[in-house]
Amino acid sequence: MSDPAEGLRDSAVFNLTSAVTMVVDDSAFGLDLTCVALRGFGINPRHLCTSAADAIAILTEHPVDLILVDCEMPGMDGHELVRWLRNSGLDPNAYVPVIMTAAHVRASKVSSVRDCGANFLVTKPFSAASLLQRLVWVARDSRPFLEAGNYKGPDRRFNASRARAEDERRAEMIALAIHEEEAAEAARAAADAKETAA
Amino acid sequence: MSVVLWQRRKSRLSTLIDQPGGLSVAVAVAQARENLDTLQAKSQTIVAARVAELAALIAPSPTDPDAARQLTLAYDLSSAVIDAAGPFELYDLCTAATGLCDLIDAASQTDRPFDWRIVTVHAQAMQLILSLPAEAVDTRRQVLDSLKQVLAKKIPLAVG
Repeated sequence: MSDPAEGLRDSAVFNLTSAVTMVVDDSAFGLDLTCVALRGFGINPRHLCTSAADAIAILTEHPVDLILVDCEMPGMDGHELVRWLRNSGLDPNAYVPVIMTAAHVRASKVSSVRDCGANFLVTKPFSAASLLQRLVWVARDSRPFLEAGNYKGPDRRFNASRARAEDERRAEMIALAIHEEEAAEAARAAADAKETAA
Repeated sequence: MSVVLWQRRKSRLSTLIDQPGGLSVAVAVAQARENLDTLQAKSQTIVAARVAELAALIAPSPTDPDAARQLTLAYDLSSAVIDAAGPFELYDLCTAATGLCDLIDAASQTDRPFDWRIVTVHAQAMQLILSLPAEAVDTRRQVLDSLKQVLAKKIPLAVG
């Protein structure tokens, strides 16, 4: 998979005209800005929501292909919405590509935003070209989905996103077990030696 | 030991993107810019209004129980400037607004009283940036350098 920061060729052709797209932003003007940019890309946003509650009502009923959500919203934040979605069990919506946009992310929320399960965070200001670049990247995002502790979402490692085969994981577990056994054996031997010396 | 589950999912979007038809990146970006241009005047009006609101905020006294709310309002206004100015390449204005958001955010994590002059200085700087002609590159840089000094003094780690 290419680097997210890599530019797109002008002549590259893409087709997202039939993508069922949802845009969530509490600001009416923010919603307008995102929608006109998307229309330029040939995407006609199907669901426009001004709150997380509106989005949830739609997401529980209708499958969508792409979500663009603003980070800062009154009530339920954008990252809280994405976390809810990833844990919702809704198929296919729980796995839908999500782009989060943010004018500014408070330091206290950085980890929450990072861990919410969005595919990409786009910080403003961004140009039409950079938004399209992120969109295409997210559409081609082949990172596997992870469930680890409280995290559910695409693998956060951009370069090492390779799902390991079952036998590979098994081999690691066996290596770990052997290592632990050897360490325990060494500790026992050291204790015996100490006892003998005493 | 925590359990990690991997799931290989192919999104419908990844299939749609390669369907026949569609448009080239160059055409898509040109169309998006053209569409955004229709909102540029509205953006300028909103940005000017938010900056004016920011400049008009009255510094709360340190004992004012609403001081925190006033600070949140300043943060929201500054953030709204970035939101509205975002797609129009007003990078200087967005840099000033981002700096103010950083400073307010940093202050909200300490118990020390916030120096409200920071809001006033940033609001005035944003008004100046808005009023400057496009060719006043040096003046704009001086304004941003001054704001950067404020940021460096208050949050040394924020300035690289």
